[in-house]
Amino acid sequence: MARLFRLLEKKRGARRTGSNLVGSLGEALFCGGLFLLGALSLSSVVAANLRHPEPEAYSLGFGFWLTILVLSSFVITGASGLMWTVFRIGTSAERRTVMAQQAARLDLLNPAAPQPRDYPNVPSHEGLINSPGTELAYRLPPAQSPGWRLLATTVFALVWNGVGCVLMVWAIKSHLLGRPEWFLTVFLAPYLCVSAWSIHYLLRLIWVHTGMGPTTLEISDHPLLPGHEYQVTLLQHGHITVRSLQLWLLCEEEATYHQGTDIRTELRVVYQQRLFQQTDFEIEPSQPFQQTATFTMPATAMHSFQSAHNAVHWKLLVKGTVAGWPDFERAFALVVYPGQATSQISPLPSALTDSRRPRSEAPTRAEVGA
Amino acid sequence: MIQMEPLLSLCLAGSKRQFSAGDELVCEYQIDAVDPNEIQAVEASVLWYTEGKGEEDLGVHFFERRLPSDAEDGDLRPMRRFRTKLPNSPLSYNGAILSIHWSVRLRLFLRRGKEFVLEQPFILGAVPPARLEVGEEESANGKPADETSDKGQSE
Repeated sequence: MARLFRLLEKKRGARRTGSNLVGSLGEALFCGGLFLLGALSLSSVVAANLRHPEPEAYSLGFGFWLTILVLSSFVITGASGLMWTVFRIGTSAERRTVMAQQAARLDLLNPAAPQPRDYPNVPSHEGLINSPGTELAYRLPPAQSPGWRLLATTVFALVWNGVGCVLMVWAIKSHLLGRPEWFLTVFLAPYLCVSAWSIHYLLRLIWVHTGMGPTTLEISDHPLLPGHEYQVTLLQHGHITVRSLQLWLLCEEEATYHQGTDIRTELRVVYQQRLFQQTDFEIEPSQPFQQTATFTMPATAMHSFQSAHNAVHWKLLVKGTVAGWPDFERAFALVVYPGQATSQISPLPSALTDSRRPRSEAPTRAEVGA
Repeated sequence: MIQMEPLLSLCLAGSKRQFSAGDELVCEYQIDAVDPNEIQAVEASVLWYTEGKGEEDLGVHFFERRLPSDAEDGDLRPMRRFRTKLPNSPLSYNGAILSIHWSVRLRLFLRRGKEFVLEQPFILGAVPPARLEVGEEESANGKPADETSDKGQSE
């Protein structure tokens, strides 16, 4: 009974603490109301103009067409929201998921969509094995292309500093004419600080991007299986004095969630192993640094996992400290399949920790109701 | 007048609650204490879902929806058994900010719009719980154990 009087309820992503039925009813009323408002207003505006046409009202710009546009958006938003709400009423989350999975399998628009595989929710490794290596079997592509970051930083710096130049000219002109714009002058101080930072950051990126030299990683086999041994070769090009160069094997969890209107992603490292470290050496353009390491994937490692909002990623991470250069990190994604030790349960339950061991050996029966 | 809620019963065959990838899962369910004419549909599913910091994701491995027209005499209450071969992934996982759980879920829809759900969890595979494991060559230069990074993105 208390639920009827609860005005506020907590929403956690797609989950609600209140009644689904009441929530859906509220959504349906809102969307239906929006649709009715849009449809009635749109038809009355159109009908009025048909009965008393005013040719000047049809000119581009504000006025008649803007009204039509806004009212049409009401109709479309209300109708689509109402249909979506009605579709969801009485349909369980499992049934909706099955329908979505079936629709994904029937993706006629994308004939290159991967076929159903033996390992659901393990990311595809096809893009990671199409480049053969010179030392080992495969050359791994970088997980993040530095080009996009550079492009985004360049666009931001150009726009920000372009506007800054206009504002600065305006402010200086006002002072020269004897009518100083003090608000604009004070506002320009923090603005120019951001300008200086954006230029510094852009130059730093260009410096690292062009002068540091590429990092190449090659691996003996892919995808990886827990308990198996692999070789990895690191090649670092450039003309630099290296203080420290390290290669790490990492596993990290990734969780994406809504916080207000923001989408936030949290990462948590759950496994890390340093494969090698070399300190204080020089790299010449004619003689890139090369180091090969051997490592064994942990036998009980969790496999790579990818779903809409959650993931488990494995990667190789190169960390460098170079004299006269900013520190750098370059990541290379790996795909790890489930291994024998984790896919097959051992006959002795002692392999499990207490928190995962079934609490009782009672018959696995659940009952509810009455 | 006291109105009783329907009784749902869900049972995994055998006594184990932990399975290997590729094992066959056999499950039985039964509904009682409800008029058969009241039942609109029954859904049984074998599924995994995530829990933790991120939003919940759900994957359905097996799904069966039965309407009264699918049953003999239109009665969905008698015991029903289904079986399915469990997939190779995702395996059950208990991580730092993400967990993956497997369960069998039974959902009963009544004519007046009421729903009843019963769940029977089980474990697929034997992945040990995650904690920060550091390889033997780790040094003070490594990342701290509780390193967390946030990336914000406006919608």
